[in-house]
Amino acid sequence: MAEGPGRFGLVALLLWAASLVASPALAAGAPLDRGAFTTALCGDGAVQGTAVEGILHASAEAESGDVAWAGTVLRALLERRLTCLGGSALLLDRAGAADGRDAATGAVRPVAGGRAPVLGLRQRALAETASGAASLLTGSGVAARRAGLATLERRITSVPEALLLRAASAETDPGLKVSLAALAQSAALSSADPARRLGAIRAVSESPSGAAFSRLSALKADPAYGSDPAFRGTLDAALARVARAVSIGDGLAVLYNGLSFASILFMAAAGLAIIFGLMGVINLAQGEFIMIGAYATYGVQEAFRRLAPPAWLDAYLLAAIPVAFLAAAGVGIAIEALILRHLYRRPLMSLLATWAVSLLLINGVRVAVGSQNLQFAMPPYVSGGVPLYADFVVTWNRLFAIAFAAVTLVLTLVILKRTPLGLDIRAVTQNRDMAACLGIRTRRVDRLAFGFGSGLAGLAGVALCPIYSVNPGMGATFIVDSFMVVVLGGVGTVVGTLVAALGIGGANVLIEPLYGAVAAKVIVLAGIILFLQRRPEGLFAVRRRR
Amino acid sequence: MVGFTRRGFLGTAATLSAPALIRPAWAADTVKLGCLFSSSGTMANIEGRLNYVVRMAADGLNAKGGVNGRRIEVVTSDPASDWPLYAQIGRQMLQQEKVAALFGCWTSVSRKSVLPVVEQNDGLLFYPLHFEGDENSKNVVYVNSPPASSVLPAVDYLMGAEGVGAKRFFMVGSDYVWPRTINKQLKAYWTSKGVPETAWREEYVPLGFSNFQTLVNQIRSFAAQPGGQPIVVLTVVGSSIPDFLREFANQGIRATDVPILGLDMVEADLEGLDTAPLVGHLNCWAYLQAAKAEANTTFLSEWAAYVKAKGVPFSADTVIDPMVSAYDSVQLWALAAAKAGSFDVPEVRKAFPGLRFADPSGYTLTMGGENNYVARGVFIGSVNEKQGFDILWQSPDAPKPVPFSPYG
Amino acid sequence: MSGALDLSPGVPAARRPGPSLGGDPLLAGLVGLVLATALALVLLQPAPYLVNLVGQLAAFAILAVSLDLVWGYLGILSLGHGLFFAIGGYVCAMHLLAHAYAVTGTPPDLMQFMGWKSLPVYWTGLTSAPYALALALGLTAAVAFVFGLASFRSRVNGVYFSIISQALVYVAMLLMFRNDTGLGGNNGMTGFSRLFGWPMGAPGVVTGLAVATLLCLAAVLVGARVLVASPLGRRMLACRDDEARLRTLGYGTTRLKLGIWCLSAVIAALAGLLYVPQVGIINPRVLSPDLSIEIAVWVAIGGLGRLGGAVIGAVAVNALKFWLSAAMPEAWPFILSGLVLVVVLGLPNGLLDLAALRLKPTWLRRAGSRP
Repeated sequence: MAEGPGRFGLVALLLWAASLVASPALAAGAPLDRGAFTTALCGDGAVQGTAVEGILHASAEAESGDVAWAGTVLRALLERRLTCLGGSALLLDRAGAADGRDAATGAVRPVAGGRAPVLGLRQRALAETASGAASLLTGSGVAARRAGLATLERRITSVPEALLLRAASAETDPGLKVSLAALAQSAALSSADPARRLGAIRAVSESPSGAAFSRLSALKADPAYGSDPAFRGTLDAALARVARAVSIGDGLAVLYNGLSFASILFMAAAGLAIIFGLMGVINLAQGEFIMIGAYATYGVQEAFRRLAPPAWLDAYLLAAIPVAFLAAAGVGIAIEALILRHLYRRPLMSLLATWAVSLLLINGVRVAVGSQNLQFAMPPYVSGGVPLYADFVVTWNRLFAIAFAAVTLVLTLVILKRTPLGLDIRAVTQNRDMAACLGIRTRRVDRLAFGFGSGLAGLAGVALCPIYSVNPGMGATFIVDSFMVVVLGGVGTVVGTLVAALGIGGANVLIEPLYGAVAAKVIVLAGIILFLQRRPEGLFAVRRRR
Repeated sequence: MVGFTRRGFLGTAATLSAPALIRPAWAADTVKLGCLFSSSGTMANIEGRLNYVVRMAADGLNAKGGVNGRRIEVVTSDPASDWPLYAQIGRQMLQQEKVAALFGCWTSVSRKSVLPVVEQNDGLLFYPLHFEGDENSKNVVYVNSPPASSVLPAVDYLMGAEGVGAKRFFMVGSDYVWPRTINKQLKAYWTSKGVPETAWREEYVPLGFSNFQTLVNQIRSFAAQPGGQPIVVLTVVGSSIPDFLREFANQGIRATDVPILGLDMVEADLEGLDTAPLVGHLNCWAYLQAAKAEANTTFLSEWAAYVKAKGVPFSADTVIDPMVSAYDSVQLWALAAAKAGSFDVPEVRKAFPGLRFADPSGYTLTMGGENNYVARGVFIGSVNEKQGFDILWQSPDAPKPVPFSPYG
Repeated sequence: MSGALDLSPGVPAARRPGPSLGGDPLLAGLVGLVLATALALVLLQPAPYLVNLVGQLAAFAILAVSLDLVWGYLGILSLGHGLFFAIGGYVCAMHLLAHAYAVTGTPPDLMQFMGWKSLPVYWTGLTSAPYALALALGLTAAVAFVFGLASFRSRVNGVYFSIISQALVYVAMLLMFRNDTGLGGNNGMTGFSRLFGWPMGAPGVVTGLAVATLLCLAAVLVGARVLVASPLGRRMLACRDDEARLRTLGYGTTRLKLGIWCLSAVIAALAGLLYVPQVGIINPRVLSPDLSIEIAVWVAIGGLGRLGGAVIGAVAVNALKFWLSAAMPEAWPFILSGLVLVVVLGLPNGLLDLAALRLKPTWLRRAGSRP
């Protein structure tokens, strides 16, 4: 609904008055007027904002029962489980429920005809802070209180110091108490007491970030910076320290981004490198094997949803690993047996054949499953991230891909170097005729190697699920890039593929901030084309007789 | 599928000698409308559903006795997301099928491809998408809003106290005309408001780009700088939207830290995403599914019933702005044709000024005489946990469309 | 680089009917058919959209012939021929816009959305059609020369050449999608209103364009036939079948390959020049690697290494595409991929094998028994 002042003017004015009455009452430590508070939450943006801000400031002194209650109501508001009906608010167990409990009285009533207010962004930020404060003060477990503290840390500038002090004094967990004390100390940046300010500056520089740098830089405008040498010295040292940490963090981020992009490239290209090296077949359907791997992952998820206990659902991504490998390998072997087997002497025709296969697979999946993005329930180990150092955040989905690529690399090397199949593959790659003379069944080796290469692409599909959208066309985006990796690395060497992937990934990430993403791609690809014109065999050429 | 091209091919010999022979017998009591929406290729997932909306609207009108006593027949096609094919099929529709009006195109480039065709044949194209503006052909009806009357109000809202008091802006767009034009106009608008040039940054990515790590890093360090509340104006399109949102959430940025205003973001882009960490991000359209209006309730149930009855391969409970705009297009055409008492394009065109239609958004659409644009309301939506949008703000009335932006 | 990797597909020429001009009734028939179609368009005046369709098919046929020349006769599979097609198309589009602007005084849309007050310096002179033609063909030849020289000198061939040429067209696509490149970005160029001063889309202009394209096709076919039947053509086949041996015999294969490669590129650019005014739009999509692969598909389906095959393939596949993408849009990709697989596996000479099946069964049996 429009919350225009015209339509709701009178009501808003009344609510505004109510909240003005409510706030001083809170500040004095008197019991919270719950009715007025919920009425205000049902008001327009300004009224909501005032009420939530009021409760945040009052939390430093209010009764803990009231604080806990306010936290519950605010969480319901944030999750749109709060419905306004008449003059009161109902709390729902879940959004869309038929009945709710009256926030003030606890009576259960039907919600029909009610209105669930939508929070504006400013009000949402305030409500998050206030509900975080409530969890910190009244949360029953350490984890809940720590989560509350994390929320407050994000918006430390809007948190009253008294609130932190109250929390620190009431806290029982020693670890949390230390964090709280540090946070309270850093909140004193604008304190009148010079000693506490210096302490605050040091505390802020303890946890460096770009935001901390901005907060500290702002102090340079303070008159004390000109007059007080101690203040100046402390601030300059803190700034230098933060700046250094931030640039180290940024460097780590560049490394991490490059590594994760390289992992994706490597996984997409590893299977290709083997197939191309062994058979000289340009497999344009390789991207579609990645897609098959991703769809197999989806299939495993759906199977888990239907058949396994809900608690196991998070494990589907790991369970999908063998399934995706086998699915892609199976399709690969079938294609090899049905089509490519007849085309080994005609590599350019096999190129067209694999293009037709890729068209077939894309459209087959599109007709069978649909063209929309698939819906994945992402387990916690591949969603979100953790700030590691300064502004450097490690995102779990990328870390998953990096680890996956590392395992793929090791597995591939082990199979190629330590198994009979690997020996055969290497022998056929280096000299097909001689290998055949020695009794190696080259056709069988081809088929198994093609299956293995396809399976590797299927594995890439698993690793990509948490990173990219999964739809029938997802594989097409990889094909040019992964061929560049293979050719640049040198045909038939996994190590070459790895080095090329690292090089291309790193170059992209380094150029992107300077000239933009489009130019980065153009520059890198153009560079590779030039390089290959000079050195067509790539970085690492396998010696072979043909 | 209506095989008009098949007839075109099989009947080549007949056409060469006597084009009049293949005129269908029932031509006297029907009038044809043509659709130019792809059901295959890159645009299929979003564009394909508009074919069905046009048919549904035509069915609705036919149930009420048609227009000017004639039944409406809808001719669909598949331009396969191939821009020249839009022009090709548009030409066939106008010359061979003699359609009274065309409804079609999603991307600007497809519209630009069809534009000369409708102008040469003096046809009429109803275009249901928002776009970069700066165009006003007498042969095109622009049913959605130009940026000056949709994007600017939304940005204004975010800059105001009621929004977040945005002071700094990070623009991320796909590298093509629509994002570039929008950003150009925004920059001129901010300059006119006294926002310094240091307060914004502009980055473009290739179409279909998906590796947003570095860009989100840059946004985080931009956000950490002093100078006031930052927001992201997102004009990437297609599969880049979910990939950007996922990376944004994974790096731990919430809407309450740095809100995203996604100008091309619709429900379909949130499919396959966990939207809990994305709650609060914004979009801006002339219609949102959550619009409170009786016409909307009717439309939603009509669509759900139509999907069920005809086995339409799209979601029965997702309705996005371009679908409603396509529906409005058919209604506007029918109103104009009825008012003119004719299907001739010049007559229909003369009937446009003064048309009024209460559409599902709850606003009354109007067409003035100055241009071929339709006045629509503005909604700002806020992402919720259920992969949809709640209405955060809506304009008090439908602002007058300004096709040629005064900014930039 | 030789052996399995760069063996050209197709049937060695020695096992095919001799390549003399009179010895190819198929080609002679096709040229006759093309000319007859041109005449029919002028005399019968069919519906403009049909005329337009014929013109587009003819442009695709020229494009296919250009690829067949390097792939079928020289064994070089370019997956980047879309680049040359696009150069022709873009220059033609620039000419049309500049010309229309000069004639009518209405600035093109492009200037509006690029925010230009006047056309930038690299548009200078493009109002003149001869200059535009020279620029299109010259630029194409130059690009082809540089890329070809670098590749052929370092002996990049076979699938490597295919991959690198594909990457080249992909890079060009990314570049053209950029708005800052200055050629319209994703929107490309549209809204051509004048051709030599005449209004675009008038039936006479449509017919004129289609007829011109058909005549160009006939000329290209005859010229290519003369080329491949000449001693140079024999050397091309020799180079395709065993480049190392030809080099050992003292022939400079780099010069040979480079020359034919540039010629092929120029023919592709000509196709682009003729294509763009007929469809009324050019956009970076013509540079997508998929389109370039599709050109190879037309050639393979029609019959590799036979000029007539390229024409038949291009016309058949595109006519089928125009028809089916409206009549049975779901089925088209399946039919296309099925067609490719059938041709690749069962008909090494493409659809021409079907004709041979009826005409010369003994010859087919011999071809089929190859290892």
